Amino acid sequence: MSARSPRGSLSGASSAEVAEDFGDSLRDLQINNRYEISNLTVIAKENTEHAQAISKVLEEHIGMTSPSKKLPALYLLDSIVKNVGTPYTVYLGRNLYNTFMQAYTLVDSNVRKSMEGMLKTWKEPVPGSMDPRPVFPPETVRPIENALIKAKTVAMQSHRPIAPDYRNTPTPPNYANRFAPPPTHTPPQPYQNFQPGFQSLPNAPTPQSTYYQHTPQQPPPNNELDAVKREVSGLIVQRQAQYDANRHDQRLGGELKALLDLQQLLNAGQYIDPASLQQIRDRVSGLANGPSAQLRPTPQPGTPQWQPSPSFPQEASQFVRPAAPYSQPPPGQQPPAALLAPGALDGLQALLANGQKPGTPQIRATAPALQSASHAQLSNVQNQAAAAPQFNGADLIASLTRNGLLPKSQRQPPPHPQPTPVPNSSTLPFQPSADLLRSLSSILPPTSQTGTPTFPAINLPPTTSKPRIPMTAAALKQFRPELVTTLYEAQPNQCSTCGRRFLSTDEGRTKKARHLDWHFRTNQRIADPAISRGAHRDWYPTEIDWVRLKDYDPSTTTAEEASALAAASNSQFSSPTKGKAHKRPEEMYVRAPPGVTRNTCSICFEEMKSAYAEELQEWVFWNARLAQGKIVHATCLAEMAKSGGAAGLGAGQRQRSATPESSLGKRKADGVGLGGGGGSKLRME
Amino acid sequence: MSLPGLSLPGLGLSQPSSSHSALGPGTSSNSQSTRTEELGARTEWRFEVNFHQQYHVRLLSGNAEIFGVELALNQRYSFSGAKGVIFTWHGCQLELSGDAESEYAGLETEYAVEWLNVHGMLESARDLAHGTNDGGPRVLVVGPESVGKSSLVRSLAGWSVKCGRTPAIVNVDPREGLLAPPGSFTAVTVGSQLDVENGYGIAPISGPTVTPIKTPLIYHCPYSSPTERPDVYKALITRTALSVLNRMEEDKVSKESGLMIDTPGLLNDPKSNYDMIAHLVSEFSITLILTLGSERLYNDLNRRFGPKQAASAEGEGIPVLRVSKPGGAVERDAGFLKQLANQQIRQYFFGTSKEPLNPHSHICGFAELSVYRANSATLAAAASSYTKDEDEDDSPYTAPKASADDFEKMTPTNAMLGRLVAIKYCDGDSDDFTIRDSAVMGFLYVSEVDEQKKRVRFLAPHPQRWGDKALVWGGCPEAVTDLVG
Ligand SMILES: [Zn+2]
Ligand SMILES: [Zn+2]
Repeated sequence: MSARSPRGSLSGASSAEVAEDFGDSLRDLQINNRYEISNLTVIAKENTEHAQAISKVLEEHIGMTSPSKKLPALYLLDSIVKNVGTPYTVYLGRNLYNTFMQAYTLVDSNVRKSMEGMLKTWKEPVPGSMDPRPVFPPETVRPIENALIKAKTVAMQSHRPIAPDYRNTPTPPNYANRFAPPPTHTPPQPYQNFQPGFQSLPNAPTPQSTYYQHTPQQPPPNNELDAVKREVSGLIVQRQAQYDANRHDQRLGGELKALLDLQQLLNAGQYIDPASLQQIRDRVSGLANGPSAQLRPTPQPGTPQWQPSPSFPQEASQFVRPAAPYSQPPPGQQPPAALLAPGALDGLQALLANGQKPGTPQIRATAPALQSASHAQLSNVQNQAAAAPQFNGADLIASLTRNGLLPKSQRQPPPHPQPTPVPNSSTLPFQPSADLLRSLSSILPPTSQTGTPTFPAINLPPTTSKPRIPMTAAALKQFRPELVTTLYEAQPNQCSTCGRRFLSTDEGRTKKARHLDWHFRTNQRIADPAISRGAHRDWYPTEIDWVRLKDYDPSTTTAEEASALAAASNSQFSSPTKGKAHKRPEEMYVRAPPGVTRNTCSICFEEMKSAYAEELQEWVFWNARLAQGKIVHATCLAEMAKSGGAAGLGAGQRQRSATPESSLGKRKADGVGLGGGGGSKLRME
Repeated sequence: MSLPGLSLPGLGLSQPSSSHSALGPGTSSNSQSTRTEELGARTEWRFEVNFHQQYHVRLLSGNAEIFGVELALNQRYSFSGAKGVIFTWHGCQLELSGDAESEYAGLETEYAVEWLNVHGMLESARDLAHGTNDGGPRVLVVGPESVGKSSLVRSLAGWSVKCGRTPAIVNVDPREGLLAPPGSFTAVTVGSQLDVENGYGIAPISGPTVTPIKTPLIYHCPYSSPTERPDVYKALITRTALSVLNRMEEDKVSKESGLMIDTPGLLNDPKSNYDMIAHLVSEFSITLILTLGSERLYNDLNRRFGPKQAASAEGEGIPVLRVSKPGGAVERDAGFLKQLANQQIRQYFFGTSKEPLNPHSHICGFAELSVYRANSATLAAAASSYTKDEDEDDSPYTAPKASADDFEKMTPTNAMLGRLVAIKYCDGDSDDFTIRDSAVMGFLYVSEVDEQKKRVRFLAPHPQRWGDKALVWGGCPEAVTDLVG
């Protein structure tokens, strides 16, 4: 137990003392640290008799603390009401309007979005909870919602985004108190609202296991809008769970944010014409079909309350400086992968639109995706941009296409609503960022250009984003945060079991899925004594086998790729007889004849039971071979073959041994993909 | 650190960040209590755990890595017989428990910046090699004992893998095995996740493994020092290089990723005019030399191999860089190395707690066996190839000659008891050259020699017999007495 984890009880202490201590530690809550928030939540839970005093301290803290620390404090509030519930919901509910709105007016747009997301979840039951009631009663939440809608309407009418965040523009008076958003570098375990936080610390839960089933509270939808709303909120819950599992996945984060925005739009009660609604619906279904489908919420004609891409200001401020060729994003600001994130091309667009003609290096620096484009191509794009008085996203796309930087097929005309939801297809009215992004990803160099086509692609961060460092003593001393970035932030998708990272690309996600599956299968096999108990070391390879060996990562390689590689290297290093691949006896199986679940090995006379092998979709006898029409233990048979058919067959003397068994063909790599590692996913009869 | 009295977490009573200041280097921590440590960005947590202790680390928040291998959040990692450094680029919170000889926060971590920059240099070189047939950087790491050479190689390997590379790692320090017991040279390509606790993880076994297996090519170097038999040592280097370079021709991914060679401190030998280093440089076509620790070594190597020597025998010259040794690099005395050797031998047969293995017992009659003893030390052959004047530069390398008495065929004796015997991929009646150059199939442990009944009991890693193959043993590793029983 950690010294900081809750041990001591405060029973006996006075409310004032408890509140004072609680207030002290609140002041230490600087950033969104899940650990701290969990700790404080536990303290609140253990001191419910002082809930009133604690609630008061928390409210006061949210009101008094600097804007940059308000969000962590609000997350704490969120965590307490969700994880502890009453009586905190009662005490904190009383002043919730003031607590929330006062903070809301003082924080920046990013924090506002987070607060809006939080508010949404307060209208719903705690995810995973049996209690169907919302976190806060509607009469507590609704006034806040109304106030927010009103504020947005006002902002819209004045044709001004509600929370512009242009760092290089003078601060509007309204936002004079605004502080910088919370540091972008927070520990990777920020507290996420919407989730009962502290009791579900990682470790066991895989993303799959943490999906919350969305159970709609409402009666069946009586119209289209409700159906869409329901679907959206279901997706939100799902994405939130995914995002909780992959907090670094910016795409997931973006999707989540987009969904929350969409939900807000839908809930705002504005009239949405049926065609637009259908489009939204298609898009949402598309998103639901593919967990990683790209979605960017799209402004509907006539609904201008959508805000500019939140990442735009940062991008813009980057371009103000003259960008050197191959310049790197400033430390910690934009990891390379993020340059492909939504909003990245807003920057390119802004660069082209700001009047002065940017240089090729600038364009390259702005959009690393275009790094490999020729100077002539980029130059044409610039000229066309300069020629157009109002160079918008559509023009940019068109220009890029004309100059061969975007394949034409990627471009679809602004669409009619399509009845069939197709993930990744552009069915919404033209949207520069998302479309351009998609298109660009198709002209990016493949992440792996290994020259060996059978070799599975590799997680290479885009090479264009890496600094060139000469091999000189002078280059040794200077700290280059961008190198750290390539190892961490650029690969935001981390395996919670082994810490391995993956890119937040589709490929990265696919690999991670395979990788998690590999952990799962491996752990199952380790847990299966029949497989792991008799393990022994293999012989080392011969020189020739090693030279031909195709090294690959079994945790991210499919069975097909693995067997192709095994065939290519034709190596079986566990056998001293080189070039002969074989399965270990333990991995051999015989399909169980229909109706046969038990069998007696005619060598050792022990009983064998059939088991269902999921990879094979069949009932099989493991560690089995056919000998003269009878099913026997493969190990027994191997023993018999080794000892010339006679000796050493006394009952119980069976040894696990590997003998060359070339007849069964190449041995697939351990635990690779389907059907590779025998015995995985076994369900004993 | 459990707090007396009212122990309220997070209420300002416990300030973990201040607690480690009390723990200076060498402070022994015997308490089983769990404590947390806050580490600032670019600092590190150093610990020394002896072979009887268990030390556990859990990453609570932030990012942290151990020699280039990232820790996963909330996983408990255990160490025994280890001198470890947990480094954080971003800052982190660690939970520590168990026992350690010492543990403390290290704030002087400029070395890590240099090491990471080396990684950046290698990445740049790999990118440049992409699409060409030149291959990636081929790095030789040299320096005196206990300056962090292995840690540097491991870190570079870990970072490379994280960047999707598959570098080849070569170890020519026989005292410390890599994916093998001591007495080995190792060549391995590393293309999958390394292991927080075990570094390179585990070589192939018949069962499932926690970390993807790594498949090394092993040669037998039965001498604890290259100076014992420099000729044989050189020949083994030549052979290893041949296999590695062949491998790279077969595997473009690996070729582009390049290779890194870890060496014993004994190569830092001005008296021999760095003869062995020159041999490695030439056999592996080294493109970058990294020196740690010794300024003289750097100066000497730079003068000899550096870019200014454009006319040297090595061609256009090779960058030689001197990188800092880590503040946490600690002397590893003979006792520690001996225990480490024992641990590696034990793990070769019995695995680890995560991947336990079953060794097998084989009894063989003397007549079935072809046993050779590798002769070492004090041989005239050694002396003759090893007396060069320090000022003499670039004397041409002469191919080592195997003398007839390199490997002496013998009848098993009690002297073999507790020794490790290499099974060579060659017939029992092979000549000396073949025996010397053949790769290792596996190692046997001599658990019993019955000179009366003329039979030997071996502990073998594999249930299968090895047939008539040459069995070789020598001075390294030393006998282990308590492996069985
Ligand atoms: Zn993993
Ligand atoms: Zn049987």
